[in-house]
Amino acid sequence: MVDVRKIRGGEGLDDINDELDEILDSVVENTRQATEAFFAAYDQNPDPKILAAWLQPRAWREIDYVFLLNEQIRRYGLAFERRHITLLAKQSFQEAEHYEMVGRAIESLGGKVPVSTPPEAKPWSDFLWDCLERHPLAAIAAWNCSETSASGSFEPTFRAGERHGFDEVVRIYKQIENDEKFHVGLGRQVLAAYAKTDTDREEILRAMRGMRDLAWKTFTPESVTQARSA
Amino acid sequence: MSRVATSQPSRTGCVTRLAELMTTFDSWSLEQASKLFDLVITRLDRIAEGVLSIELAAPDGERLPAWRPGAHIDVLLPGEIVRQYSLCGNPEDADRWRIGVLHDPCSRGGSSYLHEELEEGGRLTVAGPRNNFGLVDSKRYLFIAGGIGITPIIPMIRTVAGQGKPWTLLYGGRSRRSMAFLEEIGEIPGGEIHIVPQDEFGLLDLDRFLGQHDPEAVVYCCGPGPLLNAVEEKCQTWRAGALHLERFAPSEKAAFKEAGSFEVELARSGRRLVVPPYRSLLDILEENGCQVTNSCRAGICGTCLVRVLSGVPEHNDDVLSRADQEAGKVMLVCVSRAKSDRLVLDL
Repeated sequence: MVDVRKIRGGEGLDDINDELDEILDSVVENTRQATEAFFAAYDQNPDPKILAAWLQPRAWREIDYVFLLNEQIRRYGLAFERRHITLLAKQSFQEAEHYEMVGRAIESLGGKVPVSTPPEAKPWSDFLWDCLERHPLAAIAAWNCSETSASGSFEPTFRAGERHGFDEVVRIYKQIENDEKFHVGLGRQVLAAYAKTDTDREEILRAMRGMRDLAWKTFTPESVTQARSA
Repeated sequence: MSRVATSQPSRTGCVTRLAELMTTFDSWSLEQASKLFDLVITRLDRIAEGVLSIELAAPDGERLPAWRPGAHIDVLLPGEIVRQYSLCGNPEDADRWRIGVLHDPCSRGGSSYLHEELEEGGRLTVAGPRNNFGLVDSKRYLFIAGGIGITPIIPMIRTVAGQGKPWTLLYGGRSRRSMAFLEEIGEIPGGEIHIVPQDEFGLLDLDRFLGQHDPEAVVYCCGPGPLLNAVEEKCQTWRAGALHLERFAPSEKAAFKEAGSFEVELARSGRRLVVPPYRSLLDILEENGCQVTNSCRAGICGTCLVRVLSGVPEHNDDVLSRADQEAGKVMLVCVSRAKSDRLVLDL
C-alpha cells in the first residue's frame, strides 16, 4: 500500500526510475543474502561479541550519515526548499539517535562503539564523501542506496533475534526500520525534485551504482571475521 | 452568561454553583446543560473488567429530577473536561442516579479520573439529565448493545418489560468478564436475551436478527462505532424511523466547531476528539494517549497509516497511491485531515 520509492514531489528521475529501482532491488537482495549468511554463521557460534562486531559498521553508518547530512545542508541546502532543509535535518537527528541506540546495543553485547571509521566501513565512507565533493545530489543518491540496502537486513535480523533472544537489538532495529522508510522516501523525493539535467541524472546513477557494489559488504560474515582478526 | 446568572437552584433543592462552575466551561455547556448538581457518591462498584458503577444522590436526601430511558447526564471533571454518561439505573427511583463508566485506555482525565480518584462519600458535579435517545412506543423491541453501550439499554428493557411487551436483547462484549450488568439483565422478566462474548462466540450475528425486516419492531443500538455502522447498514431495508442509534459520547466540543476543524471518532473506544485547524491529527491523537507509529510526520514514510472506517479524508501526503487516496479507506494521520465533518478511525 505504501511504497516510499514511489513518492511524489518531482519529475527529475522519470527517465531513470526503472534503472534506479533495479539498482536498489539488487542491493537489497545482496544485503539480505549477506545478513542471512552472517546469521547462519552466528547460529554455529552465537558469541555476543561477534554480533557486536557485526553491528559496529552499522553504528558507524549512522553517525557518518549525521556528519554527511549536516555538511550536505551546509553546502547545498539553500538551493532546496525550506521544507527539505527541515526534513534533512530531522533525518540527521534521527541518525544520531540511531547511533546512540545501536551504540547501546553494542555495549550491551560487550563490544565497543566506534568513534572513528572502522576499517571495514572505510570504502563505504570514502565513497559517500567522494560523492559529496562531486555533485550536490550525488551524496544523497549514495546514502539513499545505502539506506535502502539496510532494509534487506531487517527480516533476517528479526528472525535471528527470535532464535537467539537478542530482544534489545530487535527492538532497536524495528524503530530504525520505521525511520528508514522516511529516509528512503525523503532521499528519493529530493533527488526527483532537484535533478534537472542529464548530468544530474548521470551523477545520481553513478553514485547509486557505486554504493550498490559497496553497501552490502559489511553485512557478510567474512567482513566481521576480517575486522575481528585485524 | 445571563443563563448562568439567572439559573435557580433546582426544584430538588440540590446544591447549584452555576456562576462559579459554568464560567470555566465552554459555550456548548452553557447552552446544553440544564442544571448543575453537586451530588454525593453513595456507592462505587467494580461490576466488570474495566467498568465502574457509580451511584449518586442528592446531599440533602431530596428527590432527583425525573428522567426517561435513554437519558444521560454530563459529568464535569477537573481540567474543564465534560463527559456524558447514560443513566442506567431505575427511572422510577428518584433517590439515586446510576451510571456505568468504562475505563478508556486512552483516557487522560475522563474515565481514568472517575476510576482512580472517586471515593464513596465524595462529590461529583453533573448536569442534566437530557435525552437524545428516547424510547418510542412500539409493538416489539430489538435492543443491540456493544460493551458499555449496554447502559442506556438497561432502563429501556426494564420499561418495556414492565409494559409486558416482547423484547429481544443482543448484547456483545470482548469477554464475559468485561460485560457489565449481566446478572441484573438476567433478572428482568420476559424477553429473549442473547449474551455474546466475542472470545466465546465471535461477533454479533446481525444477519440473524436484522436480515429480515420486522415492520412492527423498533431497533435500539448503542455501542462502538463499527457496531453502529454495521447495524445501520443492515437496517437500510427497514422502514424509516425503525432504527435508533446512540454513539457512546458526543464530543464536548463539537458544537463550537471552528472552520477547518473536524471531529474524529476512535472506533475501538468510541471516544471522540476535535482536531483544530492549526493542529495535526497525529498531535491530537498523541495528546490523548493514542500512540500511532510514525517517523517523518511529513507524509513521506507512510508509517502512521490508519484505516478509515467512515468519513472522507483529505489527503495531504506524498506517498499513498492516487488509487488509495481516492478510495479513502486509509490515511496518514500526520498530515492528512478530513473533508467531512467527522472521521471514524480504526483506532
